[in-house]
Amino acid sequence: MPGWVRPAALAVGVALVLLFPELVPNAYVLSAGVIVASYACTATAWSFMGGFTGYVSLGHAAFFGMGAYGTGILIRDLSLQPFLAWLLSGLIVLVITIPVGIAALRVRGASFVIVSISFVLILLLVSQAWEAFTGGANGLNVPRPFADLYRPDHHRIFFYLFVALLAVMLLTWWVIDRSRFGAGLKAVREDEDKAEALGVPTRDYKLAAYLISATFTALAGGMYALWFGDLDPIFQFSILLGAYMVLMALLGGVRHLFGPLVGAVVVGSALEYFKLEFGDTQLHLVFTAILLGIVVLFMPDGVIPAAGALLRRFGPQDTSIREITAEELLERNRAAAEREGAAAGRGGGKPSDGSGETP
Amino acid sequence: MASEEKDGTTRPAERPLLVLDDVYAGYGRAAMVLRGLSVKVPPRTVVCLVGPNGAGKSTVLKVASGLLRPREGRVVVDGSDVTGQGPQQMLRSGLAHVLQGHSVFREMTVEENVLLGAYTLRDRARIAERVAFVQELFPIVGERWKQLAGLLSGGQQKQVEFARSLMIDPKVVLLDEPSMGLDPKTTATVFQQITRMRDAGTAVLLVEQNARRALETADLGCVLDLGRVHISGPAAELLADQRLSELYLGGRPRSTA
Repeated sequence: MPGWVRPAALAVGVALVLLFPELVPNAYVLSAGVIVASYACTATAWSFMGGFTGYVSLGHAAFFGMGAYGTGILIRDLSLQPFLAWLLSGLIVLVITIPVGIAALRVRGASFVIVSISFVLILLLVSQAWEAFTGGANGLNVPRPFADLYRPDHHRIFFYLFVALLAVMLLTWWVIDRSRFGAGLKAVREDEDKAEALGVPTRDYKLAAYLISATFTALAGGMYALWFGDLDPIFQFSILLGAYMVLMALLGGVRHLFGPLVGAVVVGSALEYFKLEFGDTQLHLVFTAILLGIVVLFMPDGVIPAAGALLRRFGPQDTSIREITAEELLERNRAAAEREGAAAGRGGGKPSDGSGETP
Repeated sequence: MASEEKDGTTRPAERPLLVLDDVYAGYGRAAMVLRGLSVKVPPRTVVCLVGPNGAGKSTVLKVASGLLRPREGRVVVDGSDVTGQGPQQMLRSGLAHVLQGHSVFREMTVEENVLLGAYTLRDRARIAERVAFVQELFPIVGERWKQLAGLLSGGQQKQVEFARSLMIDPKVVLLDEPSMGLDPKTTATVFQQITRMRDAGTAVLLVEQNARRALETADLGCVLDLGRVHISGPAAELLADQRLSELYLGGRPRSTA
């Protein structure tokens, strides 16, 4: 792949995203775009934990819901400026997540998944029961930050706000991916015990990744509250929402910067389209399932690695098998020569190479 | 020089780099695995622990590298007591642990693997220096620098692990079953490399199932059984011991047979 392809693709992608509100035919598609953008935020936020450390949390809706309710309640009770409430809510979730993370990260694998689910279920029950604080099943009404705007303009602004939040997340991801911290997290993902033996402070790093992930998820939730304006425990603290984050991230490819984003665009658009076409029946769930089945069967590593492999197949075939063989042949010959040399001149000072085994 | 030390008799009494003194350790509520274990690793020496399965060989290394805290006893590195410290402090005091089995990060490049070995270092110039050193000691590591470690052969992966452990310029390298899963020829190469690590100035505490082969490489040997050292001495003497051979090494000594 030539060097200009990647930046060019990035520029086209950015342009398409920024022009999206101008290109859409009506406000309905625009609102679907806002939903997809919010999905992209949550999937990317999830991936700070799930992608970097390999800890699969099915309960990230907990942070989404806390961010959303926190924002709404701060505006309602303290009459804070909406975006100040949003930031403060993210900060509160960050603080709450510290003890939660310390407790949850004592376990690994399937146990961690269960702990993450139980946390969201606890919050669901609490928010339903504590009607005086959360509005319970009646829902919580969040006043709009831009009360005088018409709907399409409202959608447009929030589309850009979600995109800006996403950009911050992607930038954070990019920085972490190149850092010592990122290298440590990837080592944890591959094998926690080995990472520990090499001196990676695994416990602290996992907690840090969890806090980053939770806070970004909460900010996405708070943004959603400001946009949608109406919160219900069943939808905010929903296992399904957490599962969507996992599916989108895995589908796009968790190890790639844009993986969760691509996954969110694919799954989110499909969800919205299926709802539009088959929304009056349960058929939309069937189509969603078929889509996921196809991806899991044919692109197990996600869409981005699959697309990359396809590009390589049609691209120039300059790295042929022959080249690799020649290299290995050379190495074998050199190793053999060195062995001979070492055998002939033992004690000649040059230690035998020892790398002579054939791969 | 190294070959003279092989019999263990010409070595002057130097302060050992690693001492485990009367260590008791175990997992959870289960019975103690180590019961009063003591072992010493002198400078520029390969010390080999042999013994039956379950004798506690790997546990010794885990205690030394801080992965397992001892219940009783002391761990002393180069004169300073480091008992009860975690893996990071142990690395800083100069103990590097190469875990059992294939312990490279398969989905990372050789470069990323080796650099993870320097995780506790922060000085970039120092890291570059160590990279040059390990690439010279293990040429294959330099040749495969940008490749995924999982694509290398078993013996090559072992070299990556050795290189990774040498990044911190450790006083003692702890090797857990380096020959595991390798064919005889590659095993021979691996043992040769252990000798090279020693000659390059690093002491080695080695745990091996492949006991006879390991003792042939080692300078000193310790026979472990039921959580403590039963017999220790120059490796060559242990190899020659008739009774020991029958009890622990599976058969008669090779040289006298």
